[in-house]
Amino acid sequence: MRRTRAASLAATVAAAALVLAACGGGGGGGSQDASEGGVFADCATSPNTCNSAPADQLQQGGTVTVASEKNIDNWNVISSEGNVDWTGMATKPLVPYTFYTAPDLKSTMNTDLLASADVTSDSPFTVTYKIKPEAVWNDGTPIAADDFVLNWKWQNGRDCPECETAGNGGYDLVTSLVGSDGGKTVTATFSKPYTDWQSLFGSSAPLYPAHIGAKQGDLNTPAGVKAAFDYFGSTPPNWSGGPFQVQNWQNNVALTLVPNPKWYGATKPKLDQLVFRIITDATQEPLALQNNEVQVLFPQPQVDLVSQLQQIPNVSQFQNQGLTWEHFDFNLQNKFLADKALRQALFTAVNRQEIIDKTVGQFNKDIKPLNNHMFIPQQDGYQDNIAATGQGSGDVEKAKKILTDAGYTGVGTALVAPDGQPVPALRMRYTTGNAVRQNECELFAGYAKQLGVNIDISTTDSLGDTTSSGDYDVIVFGWIQSPYPFNGAQQLWLSNSGSNYGKYQNPAMDQLINEAAASTDPADATAKLNQADEMLSADAYVLPLYQKPTLAAVQNNIGNVRNNSSLDGISYNTSEWGIKTSS
Amino acid sequence: MLAFAVRRILISIPILLLASFIVFALGVSSGNPLAPLLEKNPPAPPNVIAAETVRLHLDQPLIPRYFSWLAGLFHGDFGPSVVSTMNIGHELGARFWVTIRLIALAMVIALVLAVVVGVLSAVKQYTVTDYTTTFLGFLFLAMPSFWLAILLKQGGIEFNKAVDAQVIYTIGATSIPPPPGTGAQIVDVLGHMVLPTIALALISYASWSRFTRASMLEVMNSDYVRLARSKGLSRRTVMVKHALRTALIPLTTVTALDIASIIGGAVVTETVFQWKGMGDFLLTAIRTEDVYAASSWLLLTGVIVVMFNLIADLLYGVLDPRIRYA
Repeated sequence: MRRTRAASLAATVAAAALVLAACGGGGGGGSQDASEGGVFADCATSPNTCNSAPADQLQQGGTVTVASEKNIDNWNVISSEGNVDWTGMATKPLVPYTFYTAPDLKSTMNTDLLASADVTSDSPFTVTYKIKPEAVWNDGTPIAADDFVLNWKWQNGRDCPECETAGNGGYDLVTSLVGSDGGKTVTATFSKPYTDWQSLFGSSAPLYPAHIGAKQGDLNTPAGVKAAFDYFGSTPPNWSGGPFQVQNWQNNVALTLVPNPKWYGATKPKLDQLVFRIITDATQEPLALQNNEVQVLFPQPQVDLVSQLQQIPNVSQFQNQGLTWEHFDFNLQNKFLADKALRQALFTAVNRQEIIDKTVGQFNKDIKPLNNHMFIPQQDGYQDNIAATGQGSGDVEKAKKILTDAGYTGVGTALVAPDGQPVPALRMRYTTGNAVRQNECELFAGYAKQLGVNIDISTTDSLGDTTSSGDYDVIVFGWIQSPYPFNGAQQLWLSNSGSNYGKYQNPAMDQLINEAAASTDPADATAKLNQADEMLSADAYVLPLYQKPTLAAVQNNIGNVRNNSSLDGISYNTSEWGIKTSS
Repeated sequence: MLAFAVRRILISIPILLLASFIVFALGVSSGNPLAPLLEKNPPAPPNVIAAETVRLHLDQPLIPRYFSWLAGLFHGDFGPSVVSTMNIGHELGARFWVTIRLIALAMVIALVLAVVVGVLSAVKQYTVTDYTTTFLGFLFLAMPSFWLAILLKQGGIEFNKAVDAQVIYTIGATSIPPPPGTGAQIVDVLGHMVLPTIALALISYASWSRFTRASMLEVMNSDYVRLARSKGLSRRTVMVKHALRTALIPLTTVTALDIASIIGGAVVTETVFQWKGMGDFLLTAIRTEDVYAASSWLLLTGVIVVMFNLIADLLYGVLDPRIRYA
C-alpha cells in the first residue's frame, strides 16, 4: 500500500512537472533575446532605410513566408469587398501604381512605373503621367493609358454605376483621360483642382491590365466595364505588373509568389518564393515565427503578443505610430450634448495621458496624445490644435469652471443644465470584446462622474450600425487617417458627409475644408485645413486620443523588411526583400 | 433493422429542420452582415450597400428567407455568402474532408488508447498503473483543449530544437511550398498532423478511458464472468471474449454521442493549428455574420451527429445479440 501511494505521488509530481515545464517552455533565448530594436534599431529615426541590406549582401534565392491574417475573398482591391488590408498587401507585389505611402507616411512616386507625374496646368487642372517605356505586364503587353482608363471608368461613377467600388474620391473630378506617345503618356484633366491628385491610380487603387479586362466584354460599354471589374475580383491573377507573379493560390491556405520574369523595375527580386500564409488567429503567429514556419509578422500589437515576441531569439520587432487613431465622439443630436459648454467640460476632464498609460502605453511607451484631427505627426502640416483648448488635459477644476460659468448647477454631484433640467446619464458605446476600448470607456465614465455626469457603458456588436444610426451619446472608435489628408477631411468632417455620425454642422469649417481640397497651393491648403481643425477642436465634437501603433516582427536574417504603418503595409517593397548572406 | 433505421432517420428530419430554423433566426437577428461595409473608411457608396442588401436577401422577412434557403438546398444552392465569390456548398465540401481527416484519426487513436488503458486500469485496479492512468485521465479531462494545444505546440518546438531539425509543425496541414519528393511530402504531412491529432485525441481519450474502466469493472464483477472463470477458461479468454465485448457497448454509445463535442473540439484545434476545416469555416461565418454559411454548417453537422447516433444504435445489435429491433 505504501509503495502504491509513493508511486502515485511520484506520478502526480512528474505529470505536474511536465505541465509546468511546458508552460515555461520557449522562455529562453539568453543574450539573443529579441526586443524593441535588433535589426529595427534605427527604424524610429530612419523608417525608410532601417534593416537595409544591399543586394550584394542578400542570397540569390530562398523563401520568405509572411503571416497573413485574412483570406483573399476578392482580388480586386478597388472593389468594396476586395478593399481589405491584407488583400492589398498580398497583391501589392503584383500590381503597378503611381504613388505609394512610404514607412515615413509620405506619398512617394513609384519610380519603377513612372518617369514623372506632374501638375502641368492649374486651369484646367491637369496632371500628366509619363510611364516608363520598359514597363510591361508579364505577358509583354505595355502598361499604358488604357490601363489608367479602365481604372478610371470603374471609379468615376459615370461609366460603371454598377461597379461596387470602395469609394475612392477624386475620380469623378477627372473629365478626360487621354493617352499619347503610344499610350505611355497619360493626361488627366479635372473639372476643378484636386489637391490630393497623388492618390489617384495609387497603391490603394492600382492598375489592372485593360487588355485582359477587354476579353471579358466591350470596355466602351458599362456592361463590359462591369464584367472586367467582376473578373478581376473573382479570378486569382495569372497576370502581373509587379516584381512577383502568382505561382499558386490555395484558398484559405496560402498565396505563393515567384519572380516576374518581365519585371521592369530597378530592383530584381532576390527571393525564389514569397509566401503569404493565412493565419487567421494572430495569437498563433509568435509560435509559428519561433518554429520558423513564417519569417515575417505584421499583427496588431497586444501586450501578450509583444511580450511573447520578446522571448524569441533572433527576432526583431518594431512598433510604428500608424494612420489609425482612436477618439471619443459626441452625438450632437442629444440635446444636452448640443451645448458646447458641456462638451468642452467633459473633454477637459478627460486625462488622455492617463488613458494611454493604462491601455496601449503598457506595450508601447512612445504613444502620446494626438493633437490634430486633420493630420498626424508624420504628415506635413501637423500642429497642436488641441492642447491650448485644455481638452484631454484631465484638468477637472477647469472643466468645472466651464460648467459653472455656463450656468450649470450641481457640478460634481448631479449636474443640472442652465434651463433647470437634470443632465441624464449618457450612453457610451464600444465594440464588443475590445478590452482597450472598454477601459477607455470606464476611464471616461470616471472623469464624467467628477463633473456630476453619469455614463452608462454598453457594447455594440455592429459599430457600423451604431454609428450610422446615431444610437449613442458618446462613442469610442478609430479612424484611419488618409495619407491624402485633404480628401480625407472631406470624407470625415463635412456637414453632409456620411461619416459625420454625430451631425456636427459648421458651414465655415465646411468652406475651409472644401477650399483646401481644391487648392493648387499646398501651403495654402495646409493652412486652411489647420484653420478648420482649430474650429473643430474649439467646438469639442471629437477628441483624438492617440495613434494606434502597428507592429512588425521579423527573423533577423531577412533584409529590407520594414514596418510601414500605412495601408501599403509590410509588403510595400517586396522586390528588395532577401535572406542576408551573413546569416 | 432496416425499418428501425428508416424510422430513426425520419424522426431526425423535423429535429434538423427545427435546429436549422432556430440557428437561422438567431443568425438573422444577431447582427448586420453589412456592418463591415458600413464601418469602412471611406464609407462604402450607397449603391454598394443597396446591391449587397438585395444580394444577401436582407430586404426580405425572416420566414421567406428561411424557406427559400431550404428550397435552394434541394438543388445544391446553400444561399449567398457575405463573401460574394464563395460558393458555400463547395467550400463546406472541401472543408468537410479536412475536418474528417483530423477527426477520424484522432478518434481511432483515442479509442484504441481508451480501450487499452481502460481495460488495463480495471484489471489492475488500485495499483500504481491504475492511479497513474486515473490521474492522467482526469488531467486531460480538466485541461481546456486550446491550452493543451498550445502546450503541445511549445513541446513540438522544443523537440525540433532538441533534434536540430524541422520535424514538427505548428501551423496548417502541409508546408508551403511542399518539400520536393513524395517521401519528404509524406513526412511533411505527418509532421503537420502529429500535434492536432494528439490534442484532439487526448481530450476524447480521457473520458472514454474512464468509461471503459468503469464498464470493465462492472462486467468483471458480474456472475457470468465469474462463471466463465470457474469453468476454467483462461484469464485472457474471459477478458477478451466475454468481458470486453460487453464492456464496449456503453463506450459505443458514448463515442457516438461524443461526435458533437469532438466536432466542437475540432473547432478549437483547427483554430490553434490553423487547419482550414469546418471549425475555421464556422468561426469565420460567425465573425462575418454569414447566416447562410453558419446555417449550412449546422445542418451538415447535425446530419453527421444523427448518422453517428444511428450507427451506434445499429451497432448495439451487432455487439449484443440479445438486443433485437422491433
